Amino acid sequence: MSDGSAYTVLQELGSGSFGVVYKAIENSTGEVVAIKHIDLESSEDDIQEIQQEISVLSTCASPFVTQYKASFLRGHKLWIVMEYLGGGSCLDLLKPGSFNEAHIAIICRELLFGLEYLHQEGKIHRDIKAANVLLSTTGKVKLADFGVAAQLTNIKSQRNTFVGTPFWMAPEVIQQAGYDFKADIWSLGITAMELINGEPPNASTHPMKVLFLIPKQPAPRLEGSQYSKDFKDFVAQCLVKDCDRRPSAKELLKHKFIQKAGKVEALQELVERKQEWDGGKSRPSHPKFYEETLRTMAPKQDPEEWVFDTVKVVPRKNTTKRRKLSVIHVNGQNIYDGPEDAFKRLDLKDSPLEYSSPPPVTMKKSTVRRQPSAVQLITPVKQRQASTQKRPLQPDLNFGNSGSTVRVFRRVSDNSTLAQVSNDDNLEGVTRDENRPPGVEISTKESVLGRRTFSKVVDPSFQELHAQTSNQAKREALSRLADAWSALDAIDPEGEYQLLKLMIDRVQSDSKLSSLLAPEKGSLKDGTPQVTPRKNAGKLILAQNNPHLQSHRRRQSTVQPDEHREKLANLPGQAHSGMEHTKQLADVLYGRWLDGLRNKWPAV
Amino acid sequence: MSFLFNRRPRTNTVDLPKQAKEQITKINGPGGAVKSEELAKTLTQMKFMLQGTQETETSPEQIFALVTGMIHEDLLYLLALNLYRLPFESRKDAQVIFSYVLRFKPPNASPKSDPIALSHVINSRPQVLVELCNGYEHKESATAAGTVLREVLKHDSAAALILYDDPNKSPENAARGLNGIQVDVRQSGKGVFWNFFSWIDQGSFEVGADAFTTFRELLTKHKQIVAQYLSTNFDLFFDNYNDILMKSSSYVTKRQSIKLLGEILLDRANYAVMTAYVDRGEHLKICMNLLRDERKMVQYEGFHVFKVFVANPHKSVAVQKILLNNRDKLLKFLQHFLEDRTEDEQFIDEREFLIKQIRNMPPTPVEPTQKPALLSQQPR
Repeated sequence: MSDGSAYTVLQELGSGSFGVVYKAIENSTGEVVAIKHIDLESSEDDIQEIQQEISVLSTCASPFVTQYKASFLRGHKLWIVMEYLGGGSCLDLLKPGSFNEAHIAIICRELLFGLEYLHQEGKIHRDIKAANVLLSTTGKVKLADFGVAAQLTNIKSQRNTFVGTPFWMAPEVIQQAGYDFKADIWSLGITAMELINGEPPNASTHPMKVLFLIPKQPAPRLEGSQYSKDFKDFVAQCLVKDCDRRPSAKELLKHKFIQKAGKVEALQELVERKQEWDGGKSRPSHPKFYEETLRTMAPKQDPEEWVFDTVKVVPRKNTTKRRKLSVIHVNGQNIYDGPEDAFKRLDLKDSPLEYSSPPPVTMKKSTVRRQPSAVQLITPVKQRQASTQKRPLQPDLNFGNSGSTVRVFRRVSDNSTLAQVSNDDNLEGVTRDENRPPGVEISTKESVLGRRTFSKVVDPSFQELHAQTSNQAKREALSRLADAWSALDAIDPEGEYQLLKLMIDRVQSDSKLSSLLAPEKGSLKDGTPQVTPRKNAGKLILAQNNPHLQSHRRRQSTVQPDEHREKLANLPGQAHSGMEHTKQLADVLYGRWLDGLRNKWPAV
Repeated sequence: MSFLFNRRPRTNTVDLPKQAKEQITKINGPGGAVKSEELAKTLTQMKFMLQGTQETETSPEQIFALVTGMIHEDLLYLLALNLYRLPFESRKDAQVIFSYVLRFKPPNASPKSDPIALSHVINSRPQVLVELCNGYEHKESATAAGTVLREVLKHDSAAALILYDDPNKSPENAARGLNGIQVDVRQSGKGVFWNFFSWIDQGSFEVGADAFTTFRELLTKHKQIVAQYLSTNFDLFFDNYNDILMKSSSYVTKRQSIKLLGEILLDRANYAVMTAYVDRGEHLKICMNLLRDERKMVQYEGFHVFKVFVANPHKSVAVQKILLNNRDKLLKFLQHFLEDRTEDEQFIDEREFLIKQIRNMPPTPVEPTQKPALLSQQPR
């Protein structure tokens, strides 16, 4: 399919940690498509997982699932060509406000059709949420983003891998008790609640905590007279905690709420509403166009070629800089065999201005450009950075509630020196995210005290305990914690002080603990600091079983709205000013946990 | 599934394979479109019989009859051979049918026995496996064939059959399936395994990446078989590997094959292969050029092969020469090699180790005290 055809790449639609999605035109047909660019250079080990995603996608043919068209390599970027859906995702469409029940009923029906199809094909989507539901401009509803989908070879078999996005995850998925298609039904119920409320249940809780809450709490329900009885019942049916009693997609299609749903055309209202809403807002006036990076890296000093007596290595002359390219020809896989080759292919037409006027070939059809106002054009600077692989300890504030499925954590070495933490990358990573000025200044009394507690209390305690621990695994866990703590100390001594203070307060308020530990104010015995965080970490580790984490790193669907982030920032469990430290620590622990899983399944 | 119950009495289980065979042999001839539609229905029916639906359970007796019927009609072979000709949905059905049939054990069979269809294929019809591999010839059949293959490859005998397939094999040995394999006879390079190299490095990402995944399974799942195979066919294998995969113009092929090479070499079972590999100066040159590739992940994967050469305590004179000729450059280069990998401790340690090793090499090559056990068959 990709042979000999060419795509005209238009503007950017959104981006995630996996790469960027562009709108494009297939020149031979004039059809508008979406092309996902995945930069393979920026991922350590994902090629096989990406291939898995493609093989799930390419075996789907349903009007309720975004249609896969082709994929091919261009240099180290993989292009995945998909059907273009101009309405945007339901998460985008939620921005002007939540949906009404009539709209939700239609969406749920279409999603159930999609799930019915997937399930009979032996596929589990595993990441159903508003962000992964796309609408066409005509109101068609389609499931997207198969990054964590599973293909079962046996229709009756079960999975027990831990994937999804916490808020939408079914209890049986979290408990790793083995789950099947019914997990998607739970997520559908949560999505229905997300559509009516604007956010999933527990949205204000830290995602890590949500993982404990979902199996423990009673299933969420819609309550109140503002919802119809049918809707409330539909949600209740989806959200049955016992997956054996949870109905299948087929059964739910017979539900009253679904039976009474109207035509998909009614969903155009949502698309239009979003367009109006966008119109009323000042947004970036320039869409981001596709820019081809041919060879940006400066070659290393080439005089340094190896000396082999027989083989002469041809030195590379590499002068091509960034150029914009409007029409991209796709001939099989190797578009560019080398820089020279690439250079030859450039021609004068490839000036940046080419973008604003579409090539004549594609004009005749109705594919004339219109600012797709339904599609966010926010400059996703942050997301871009995500794909550059340098994100040490970087907590992602978008986690869960918007598009992201699982955040990325970089490994941190076991070396607990301050020097390592204060390297630029690291500081930048953390401070950027916490919206604080770069650099750590020790100005307040608390921060001085924080530094002092570290050098006098925490660090020696860690050293001592480490020396006393013989078990390798325990030592490692301990050194990681020490490492994380020293990172905290380097960046936020004030928070460190607060943290210790809070811990001591907690210990003292618990009668049992206070009698055993640290009875005196201000003193802190060995081991005490670990009590709280360790408990969490330990519990989480019990639940590890996740060969799919790697693919999670790529999961961050489309655009992360800024206002969403602001909203998140106000929620408890997110980032209270003065409380960043606790979140950071929790994030670090969570990151460790993910790393632990990743280490356990290195091959996957 | 309505057609299972509503229509006129359907053909019984035994007839399904027969019917499918009749249809499949005609899809290429006149009226092929009609036959192909009929075949699609037959296959769907077989699929439902095998896997049940969300509403109906399966019957082991029925499945047993179906599986033996399929063996009798040689349907697995026909399906594999014609996979790419089937319509979209039928290919998926065929994939499901393969998976179930090759896994099926009669209810009274001992738990240790092989599934009946699988043992039939292994002992008397290895061509089914060969034709499944040939599924990579066509974009249409690649994914389905690959999925089936990877499942079958869990059995070492299936892996052995694919590795040792060779048209030069005497026909009587070929017909003997597993028993016809002679592990110490060198391969002609015309067997189906050797086609994987070109399947991996052809145009389409989907086909190439899938073929590579299967290739990797073949070379990593069953260590003893592979170690023996690579030892016997050392030159043929690495000539292909270096020329087609390591030098591929496709980023994915190149990066994945460097990584796989590292995995193969560092596998304990392949010790003899590893020592023979790192003995060659030619191999070191390829590797050193990878370190200078402009793509960081290629450099990184290349490093993990390069380190084996340097860490080898019995470096050949050829290898020593190259390292010594480039000693200063290498030292300088390695100091700054992938500097931004500041969090990869293992990498940093290994890089330091290599620097130390290279620095401490004696100024002139020294005859190694130990030669690779696996002497290359064709000296170069």
